[in-house]
Amino acid sequence: MEEEKGDFEPKIVGFTCNWCTYAGADLAGTSRKKYPPNIRLIRLMCSGRIDPMFVLKALLNGADGVFIGGCHPGECHYIKGNFYARRRIAALRTILKQFGLDNRVRSEWISASEGDKFARTMKEMAEEIKQLGPNPMRDKIL
Amino acid sequence: MKGTELKYEDLEGFFKGLLENNVVDALIMPHRVGNKVSYMLVRDKERIASPESVIFAPSFGVNAANVVKGWMIDNKVGIVAKPCEIRAAIELIKLKQLNEESVLLITVDCSGAFKNEDYAEHYPEIGNLVDSAKIKELEGKGISMREACAICENRLADIGDIIIARVNGKVGVAGLTDMGVEALSAVELPLEDKDLERKEEKERIVAEARKRLGELPRIDSVEALEEFLRDCILCKNCRDVCPVCYCKECFFDQPLGNPAGGDLLNLAELRGAIEVPANQLLYHLTRVYHVCTTCVACGACEDACPKGIPLTRFYPVLAQKVQEIFEYVPGKDAKEPLPFTTYEDEELEECLR
Repeated sequence: MEEEKGDFEPKIVGFTCNWCTYAGADLAGTSRKKYPPNIRLIRLMCSGRIDPMFVLKALLNGADGVFIGGCHPGECHYIKGNFYARRRIAALRTILKQFGLDNRVRSEWISASEGDKFARTMKEMAEEIKQLGPNPMRDKIL
Repeated sequence: MKGTELKYEDLEGFFKGLLENNVVDALIMPHRVGNKVSYMLVRDKERIASPESVIFAPSFGVNAANVVKGWMIDNKVGIVAKPCEIRAAIELIKLKQLNEESVLLITVDCSGAFKNEDYAEHYPEIGNLVDSAKIKELEGKGISMREACAICENRLADIGDIIIARVNGKVGVAGLTDMGVEALSAVELPLEDKDLERKEEKERIVAEARKRLGELPRIDSVEALEEFLRDCILCKNCRDVCPVCYCKECFFDQPLGNPAGGDLLNLAELRGAIEVPANQLLYHLTRVYHVCTTCVACGACEDACPKGIPLTRFYPVLAQKVQEIFEYVPGKDAKEPLPFTTYEDEELEECLR
């Protein structure tokens, strides 16, 4: 695993909600939008289901980035799940910021009709993480 | 606020009165055992002796709120403790781990405290109460205050039902809530309008505390965090003594959080090698997230660490950053919702990416 910055294929774990972002990813696929294959999506029913511990665990187990996708605020299938998610993610990223890990975690609101936005976000994120280099936790014995 | 002024020695009668008049069924308050100060749960008023010599004693052992955590009882218990402990009790009320109607929170001015073992050892020099000049003098002799107290901005009693403040060689007792004022009337204290706000003194404490906070070593990278936690043996004492860590069954006591046997072997196979005991970093990062809005910065975690890890530089310092983004001060008001139980329609977008 002697990869240099910019020259490695990052592994990104994505937590997406069933109703918006996962459907958005589906749309990106069915409309044949191209985006880098670095993301591994995990579908949850709602972004409010994401326990920040999922994100921590992914990072500590060597994921180079974590993506979180949900419905636009105000458009949650469960009315307010993503409002709670937003507060949790903001708190978690504030903690991670102290250790310089916050830029490995990114969240976006992507609706079921935004296949384009999903593909664009994946491109941007893969590029950002490539610039950051591999997760320092990856080769550690933790 | 409604209150009155008492002499130090009148406090004994006041506390006895609370029990005698059935304002409370029991009191949790400090008492002295030799050089040491610890808490007692007292129901017989005759067991209260010279409280004025202990309630202001600059000694921190346990957080009193941790003692009453989960007490969903109908009896009424008065808690006489420092601001950080009462703030923790207020957070517990919000977390539904304490019945608001069954506690009478009596907050006592704090001057900053020493670890209880340091206090007992140096009792002859420290005495029953100290002021900022005395603390400086003791620091010169190498007896330093707990780090959590050095960075504490909320030492003056200003929350709870009743406050007991030290003013000009006397004590000011005042009720902040209806329950507090009723309790004071029940023990027949002559109540008048009393101002125990003490703005200037507060500003001075805040300035000093922020200066000390700025001087603390920072943990600013993954490597620094690993180094910081190097000696952690995962005894989880920091969790057990934390007044606001309250899960009935902790994730890190369950198979997923505390893997053993075959699970552990599988994990080791997956990664080649893993640190054991497992999940050290995950434990502390998860815990700091769990307490990030409710941490009252009492420093009990640091005191309890058998390896002497200065956890004040981790838990309260990180929690404060999170509390800043929600503009939330834990323990200020039992009516204010916890940040994770509420939301605004538009907020925090700048913190997400």
